[in-house]
Amino acid sequence: MVIKVAHYINQFFAGLGGEDAAGAPPLRLEGAVGPGKGLGFEVAVTLACGDDYFGEHEEDALAQLLRWLDEEKVDVLICGPSFGSGRYGYACGSLAREAARRGVPAVCGMHPESPGVLAAEGAAYVVPTDAKVTGMRAALPQMAALARRLAAGETIGPPAEEGYMPRGLRRNEIADLTGAQRAIELLLAKLAGDVRTEVTASFDDVPPPPPIADMADATVALVTESGLVPQGNPDRLESNRAHAWLSYSLEGLAGFEAADWETVHGGYGTSVANADPNRLVPLDAVRHLVAEGRVGSLHETLYTTTGNSTPVATAAKFGQEIAQRLRDAGVQAVILTGT
Amino acid sequence: MPATRTPALELAAFAVRDVVAGTETALNDGVLTVDAVGLEASAADLPGVLGMKVSLVRPGESARVINVLDAVEPVIKPDAPGTTFPGALGSLAAAGTGRTHRLEGAAVLATADFHGTYDVTTLDVYPDGDSFVDAAGPGAPFTHWSATHNVVLSFRCDPAVSPAEADASIRRSTLRVARELAATTMGARPRHVEPLDLPAVSGDLPRVCVILQVASEGPLVDTFLYGRPVRDLVPTLLDPREILDGALTAGQYDWAGVRDPTYFFQRSSLLCELLHAHGDTLRFCGTILALAYWPSAFDKERSALLAARLAHQIDADAAVLTTFQSGNSHTDTMLTCRACERLGIRTVLLLAETNGGLTDHVPEADCVVSVGNEEELVPEWRPERVVGGERTWSGRPAAEAGPVPAVTYLGSLCQLGDMKLRAVSW
Repeated sequence: MVIKVAHYINQFFAGLGGEDAAGAPPLRLEGAVGPGKGLGFEVAVTLACGDDYFGEHEEDALAQLLRWLDEEKVDVLICGPSFGSGRYGYACGSLAREAARRGVPAVCGMHPESPGVLAAEGAAYVVPTDAKVTGMRAALPQMAALARRLAAGETIGPPAEEGYMPRGLRRNEIADLTGAQRAIELLLAKLAGDVRTEVTASFDDVPPPPPIADMADATVALVTESGLVPQGNPDRLESNRAHAWLSYSLEGLAGFEAADWETVHGGYGTSVANADPNRLVPLDAVRHLVAEGRVGSLHETLYTTTGNSTPVATAAKFGQEIAQRLRDAGVQAVILTGT
Repeated sequence: MPATRTPALELAAFAVRDVVAGTETALNDGVLTVDAVGLEASAADLPGVLGMKVSLVRPGESARVINVLDAVEPVIKPDAPGTTFPGALGSLAAAGTGRTHRLEGAAVLATADFHGTYDVTTLDVYPDGDSFVDAAGPGAPFTHWSATHNVVLSFRCDPAVSPAEADASIRRSTLRVARELAATTMGARPRHVEPLDLPAVSGDLPRVCVILQVASEGPLVDTFLYGRPVRDLVPTLLDPREILDGALTAGQYDWAGVRDPTYFFQRSSLLCELLHAHGDTLRFCGTILALAYWPSAFDKERSALLAARLAHQIDADAAVLTTFQSGNSHTDTMLTCRACERLGIRTVLLLAETNGGLTDHVPEADCVVSVGNEEELVPEWRPERVVGGERTWSGRPAAEAGPVPAVTYLGSLCQLGDMKLRAVSW
């Protein structure tokens, strides 16, 4: 069977350049380019995009890339491998997810800790790779084998057997024993020192950074998911499932005035917060501590979004983007108010 | 369990291999004949009920029962019939001792379209979601009552009377029918008798208790202990045989899959397995009834603490923690887990998942049984017959409901552990 394959890569693997070319808009190339030549089958079209361009114009980039995929009527999309690269991985995962949801099966290759794994949202298959590009030789045949089977419409087995990362799906099956029988079995095993579980919590475990030695020298930033925005919500932050985070200058503000600020969050009763927005984000208190010399300075930008029904992948992306800006600005500490 | 001997509970089983309509309710050679007209007449004057219709649904039939409230195994106390379901139906007497006759393989299903009769959103807490029992098709493995011979009682509620009052009539009437069907066994010889004893066992087998979570949030979302709502319950020690013998009854009609129908209290796989293992691999030291859905963090911590303290007082080495519904109650389960583990009581938890999600988690919860994923869709099935109503809550004809989430099936993800369903990573 002849299958029609599209391959997505970033500016670097397309030969456009490194960071200097990261702003390159989507590009369509005939045939295999770069790593696509090592897949072991014919690539009909290669799609490429600069990593920064994708991050900064995600909606436009996705629309263009998906348009090309529609035109080509491919059987399968292969993205990457992007290895440990966060931005490249995110683009791969996002494009693969959208393609898969439109009926084009998609395979990515990336390091298990790449944000692209979350971005794929289980819609696309992710083959785990090395963090470094030296893992190319091992990754390509695995991705190609899975892509070939998906293109042929074959039923894909469980992750461990097929060599892809669990897609975050929890499939129901009928066990041999009742839940009660399994519970007693697990409990007796646990008492004997053999601790097993059928459910592993998938919460992130974030190790705290070392404490700040002297707050009187520290620059503190205010970040919130409480939906705090200027009155009238000029940038139209959503009340749930926010698509963006926003930033607003705090220069010249001693605190948040109720007449000038409001929350648009849809997940909690907002009347108390709107009566005094400082209780959502403690601008007044930080100003006071700075004046007293107990805190070095305030980072003069507020970062805000709505944290309500936000997909984890989107929230992770917001967090990474905001954290990068804070780091670039030399911020040492953040007061992050959640609601 | 104290060394004082409670006489064994003897469950005498009478097998039902078919159910048919007739003029007199009787059990002959495994065939349960049901006087539908007589049963319907018995519900004629109930407050809040305009009428009741009896339908029979057998395993393998192309039939879907909708708006299912509860399932009950027909039982009777032959030596004192008036104490069957003490408090909830009969007069007060301690359950869990003496003989009980049960119709093995039969069930009474109660249905009512509360959603179509009342504006349930006016209740403080109101039940949500469809509740199906499919006798065949892809949904059959998701509900225990696809395999039982069902006497379905479809109640029509009076919109002029409160849902609480109508429900009180429905619950009582359902238990009464269950007792009446089992009364056909009076004087007959059972197929087998299962003695459930809890003798004192010495030695060093681990002492295991159950912390059985229930909830009580008001009318239509309630659980009853000897006929009264368990609201504000302080963790309470029960003999597991009391629960198997009708001390607990359900009146909780939120998400069907994660309910604990009365039938699962009566036939609890967990309690039966622990009774069978008693003296063999463990010592079953009691069942603690504990409330979930507490409204505040303080109340949750307090109930968890008291349940764990009680487990400690009965010298439990380990506890099986069940969960009732999901979301909010996961926090109650997790806090109870932590409180137990801090007292050195090892725990296993039974939890239903929502697409891989747990609402809460504590590091001590290192041993969890998955009873399945509520959200996974069960493929579409078009039954020839629909009983208990016509349309789903979303307004679709019930025979064309399309694929529905697993949680739509009554008891599919019961966190008492009665089903074999589980979710695995994929």
